[in-house]
Amino acid sequence: MPKPDQVQDADLRAQIEKAYSAMRSGNGTEAVRVLADAYLYLLNKHPDMLDETIEPRPGRQMPAVMRWPALGANLTLESVMQKKPRIEFMRDRFAVSEAITYYEYTLESAIQKGA
Amino acid sequence: MKFGLFYELQLPKPYDGDQWDPDAEHRIYHEMLDQVELADSLGFDYVFEVEHHFLEEYSHSSAPELMMAALSQRTKNIRLGHGIVLTPPAYNHPARVAERISALDLISNGRVEFGSGESASEMELGGFNVERGLKKAMWEEATREVTNMMTSTPYPGFEGEFFSMPARNVVPKPLQKPHPPLWVAASRRETTMVAARLGMGSLGFGFETPDELGERTQEYYRLVREELMPIGHAINPGLAVLNTFMMGPTDEEALRRSANGPGFFSYSLGYYYNPMTGGKHPVGAGNVYRKYRDESSEVEAQQRQARTGFLPEHEIREGEPKEEVQRALYRAARSGNAIGTVDRLRTTLKMYEDRHLDVMIFVAQAGDRKHEDIMESIDTFGRQLLPEFKERHETVHRKWREEQLQGVEFPINSSI
Repeated sequence: MPKPDQVQDADLRAQIEKAYSAMRSGNGTEAVRVLADAYLYLLNKHPDMLDETIEPRPGRQMPAVMRWPALGANLTLESVMQKKPRIEFMRDRFAVSEAITYYEYTLESAIQKGA
Repeated sequence: MKFGLFYELQLPKPYDGDQWDPDAEHRIYHEMLDQVELADSLGFDYVFEVEHHFLEEYSHSSAPELMMAALSQRTKNIRLGHGIVLTPPAYNHPARVAERISALDLISNGRVEFGSGESASEMELGGFNVERGLKKAMWEEATREVTNMMTSTPYPGFEGEFFSMPARNVVPKPLQKPHPPLWVAASRRETTMVAARLGMGSLGFGFETPDELGERTQEYYRLVREELMPIGHAINPGLAVLNTFMMGPTDEEALRRSANGPGFFSYSLGYYYNPMTGGKHPVGAGNVYRKYRDESSEVEAQQRQARTGFLPEHEIREGEPKEEVQRALYRAARSGNAIGTVDRLRTTLKMYEDRHLDVMIFVAQAGDRKHEDIMESIDTFGRQLLPEFKERHETVHRKWREEQLQGVEFPINSSI
């Protein structure tokens, strides 16, 4: 059961906690923006994550980091291929359920990476 | 653990023809009514029916509110579940959803379960001009407002991102207060965790193994206790999972009766939800069943399984994809957790019960399975297995749930 206090990196943990507070107060938009920054911070601290691949379907490879949810704050494939990860915002507003989805993903990624 | 039935109203075309029997839709609708009436008489707890549009062969259930209304008059106790209503406003205006749910709740004497979701198939999103990237936000905004409409007199009006309306009193109000139990369709683990935080039951389409379920249950209830931010005015803590279901006097006979129901269910679901296939479906002119039979390795797998009996769990797991949705499809086609004899089902279902699953929902109507076999399976399960699970639900599971929910101060409306 992933929790923010399992994140070692103090800066990253602070970002995740800030996103959690925003989410709890119903501000999905702020939470997603903070989580996007947190995920990019994680990737910059652990660039080896950009080299990991998964096989979503037999015979098809994709960068593992592209599992970052594409709900309007989208990690661009081009930036991942260039090793300069960038998240593009396709919308201005985000719902709490979307923020929860980004939160779960970011927190799990950080803990799995031992960050 | 409670039990339910799940309906897509599948209707595969004949392998060697391009049109259905002219009476086929009429037939499956009435078969469903008969099956649920029998299930109700035997004490099944739930029926859940999907809302899908344009997914020919995979699901002919586009107006579940009408089936639920019919069932409300043919059954006495079974809970009538929308599994789910598509709530992005382009599918259904939120006020119409609130009105229909409330009216059904009144005529069924308070038996409605309100599941909601968005769908992900190109046929549906494109058919109603729902933008894929916004559907989750649309779902949340509309679902939240539906609960407000059911509880506010008058509803003060709303200026939202995806719909707006002036102040109106949305009537009738539901019999269940403040509103019927809320569920959300969850095909991924992350959506189950969204459900927990929003105080909704998770209608799981992931075909979880008992071990995965055990872990997920612990996490779900922890989030309900610690991180609740409810979308509605009462929470409905609960985990439900689907399982493909068919019984027989021997395991081999159950597998034979199960036919290619699970295989077609999985194939046609994957077909419509993959934009590369479902997005290019030749509307009105395709034959998904024939494609399934001709192209799918599932057919061969099902036939081999029918010849040789159940695949051991480790063999099923060995070949499964890692991606969550693909894995769910794979399992939907291969796992036989609720297929077999009374003894086999008792053993396998007990594993879910031991991991504190709240509701097991059986997929019986699938592919070209026969109505008579489904009726016999419902009857056998209802008479020979349901009573012992019911007893343990009342004596063991209820207590466990009470412990899990200790300290939760928000109102609860749950039929579990």
